[in-house]
Amino acid sequence: MNDPRPDLQEVFRDVFDDSELTITDATTAEDVPGWDSLTHINLIIAIERKFGIKFATAEISNLKADGQNIGSLVSLISKKAQGAR
Amino acid sequence: MLPDHAFRVLTLGGAGVYLLNLCVWRGHVVAFGGERCSVPSDVQLSNAVEAYLGASTSGNHREALKTLVAGIKETVAAGDFTNSAVALRRAIVPTLDYTSAQTLSRISKTIRPQVKSAHKTRLAILGSFTTSQLRDFIELALFASEIEPEIYEADFGVFRQEILDPGSGLYEFQPQLVFVATSWRDAAQLPQLTDDRDTVDAHVRAELESWQQLWRTAHEKLGCQIIQNNFECPPWRTFSNLEMRHPSGLGRQLAMMNQAFAEHAPPYVTIHDVDYLSAYAGRAAWGEERFFHHAKMPCAPEYLFDYAHSVASLVAAQLGLAKKCLVLDLDNTLWGGVIGDDGLGGIRLGQGEAEGEAFQSFQRYVKALRLRGVILAVCSKNEDANAREVFTKHTEMVLRLDDISCFVANWTDKAANLRTIAETLNIGLNSLVFVDDNPAERSIIRQLVPEVAVPELPTDAAGYIQAVERHRYFQAVSIGNEDLKRTEYYRGNALRQQAEESASSVDDFLKSLEMFGTIRPVDDGSLERTVQLINRSNQFNLRTKRYSSADVLAMLGNSDWITRTISLADRFGDNGLISVILAKMETDVLDIDTWLMSCRVLKRGVETLVLNDLCEIARKKGLRALRGEYIPTAKNGLVRDHYQNLGFVQIDHDSDGRTVWELPIAGWTPQKTFIQQRTTDE
Repeated sequence: MNDPRPDLQEVFRDVFDDSELTITDATTAEDVPGWDSLTHINLIIAIERKFGIKFATAEISNLKADGQNIGSLVSLISKKAQGAR
Repeated sequence: MLPDHAFRVLTLGGAGVYLLNLCVWRGHVVAFGGERCSVPSDVQLSNAVEAYLGASTSGNHREALKTLVAGIKETVAAGDFTNSAVALRRAIVPTLDYTSAQTLSRISKTIRPQVKSAHKTRLAILGSFTTSQLRDFIELALFASEIEPEIYEADFGVFRQEILDPGSGLYEFQPQLVFVATSWRDAAQLPQLTDDRDTVDAHVRAELESWQQLWRTAHEKLGCQIIQNNFECPPWRTFSNLEMRHPSGLGRQLAMMNQAFAEHAPPYVTIHDVDYLSAYAGRAAWGEERFFHHAKMPCAPEYLFDYAHSVASLVAAQLGLAKKCLVLDLDNTLWGGVIGDDGLGGIRLGQGEAEGEAFQSFQRYVKALRLRGVILAVCSKNEDANAREVFTKHTEMVLRLDDISCFVANWTDKAANLRTIAETLNIGLNSLVFVDDNPAERSIIRQLVPEVAVPELPTDAAGYIQAVERHRYFQAVSIGNEDLKRTEYYRGNALRQQAEESASSVDDFLKSLEMFGTIRPVDDGSLERTVQLINRSNQFNLRTKRYSSADVLAMLGNSDWITRTISLADRFGDNGLISVILAKMETDVLDIDTWLMSCRVLKRGVETLVLNDLCEIARKKGLRALRGEYIPTAKNGLVRDHYQNLGFVQIDHDSDGRTVWELPIAGWTPQKTFIQQRTTDE
């Protein structure tokens, strides 16, 4: 399974329209300006499309919850993309 | 120094533009040098658009879109908003997925304030679900049609209050169009298990009445056109297969509601068939609820741009901007094979052969379009006689020569032919849709004649219908008799043209036509066609004021307004309703608000007929003069001297080219025409 981080970075740069945006495993929603509920939805949809995966309803909520960061998103993507094989 | 039989070719390579020296030597094409040209950025950008449109697999698609987006952003950064707007518009297709549409929407927001759109409108969106993404996508789809909307988006879920509260933002905004964005969840009364048929019938009646009341309230205050969603069916049936037959089936009630909307919505309400959109996508896919639960989105995100495209197509049609003419290539578009090579017996069309049946099915679709008012033309690289022979002799042809209003088969380049077709039919290039199986041909036309819509076609003829259908080119908000007879009108015109060519003088020609003109006020029967003409006439149109059927109905009810429609017939057939006048009585003057005419009947005497009628009205009402205004546009230079030619005197003008004219009634006498008149008084 390829590291999803580079593709994820690209998705973030497109959704937030910022070619300089850099995310790390520690990044959370508070760290990225413009990450509100509408962009969150756009992000989920873009990630699903990019990786060919589908998030469950609860997973979509959890990704916004306190304590969640890009690291947890990366794990979830890796797990799902593997399962999709 | 170039040898004999050599030529230079401008070619577009991946890295730029090259001028190559080529010659034919012993049967081969040989290159013997060339040079790199400086690269105009819009050529590279054009290539990027073509690569994106032609990319068939989804992998290619994303890469091509990335390249295109980068190209557009560079062009924007360089301050070239015109070319970036052109490229962006061509990239907006109804099959855009959610994420790509979001990307293009973001870019469009940087471009739109910097370019002037040909058309404007004021659109209110009243949603019972989250409308923010749909709003962005509607703006994007409208941008592709060169419509720049001013939008009022109501807060979530308050559509009824917006309409019922006279002090709401909706009324302050004064929209021309109101989109009531509701869904099946807004049906007031869902059936209970114990309901019998009579109870459900009563629900449906009550539901219809409550919506009619909302529409009436909005329309009375705003005079606007309303776009109202019908009810899509959710992807479950509690009664399973019995859903449509059991009295308390939800699907049954929603279907009855939709039928009630279709039959009883007034002319000022356009019912937007969301139920069809959902069925087209597949109810289960469309109705997948994750994003409804999270964000109250009306459908699964991948269908949202198509939803917006559908709404935008209704707005465009309302403004008279639907396409009018389908131009068809022949070989491998209407039949399999090449008639010039394969002959009548060798082309693949019709029974006994699957591929032939696919082409025939496409022809049936095209024929159905023409029967309901779409004009057909042929544009083919063929000997004219060979091409025509298929239409006259092949037993499996569904389309016949009678269906084709302009038949062009020759060896001239298609870009020139398309211009000829537009000129012959007297319609704008932007009214044409061009269908051709050859990707190179499509690409060239998109670049050389960008006003013409050129949909991508799959290699499989069985996909041709959808390739055209999904663009909603020929969106209709109404169909009237005029539409159904359109091809006949063009045929009559061809006969008239022949008569004109053989007549010895203009007067002789006009006399020989034996014309009858009928002048009457706008009425229920002529309302659709009148509004069509008001919204589609660009050339013979003095002020280009667009009105909805709601607006015209308001004028009919107002005794200060004079409305007139003129129909013209001659010995070759009926031209139908070809001119519309809207005039307002002011203190001492009859002010001509709208004077437009179909270009089919230029210089027949209709202008004089109208003038005579208006002067007679003014005289009877004791008015001093007629007053008219000319507002110049890119398309109506034809009528700049219209009032001057009719004997009006210019009383005002400004630096934009606007002129105001008056014709005093005192001392005026009716002018002669070759049209025998039938007038119906108000």
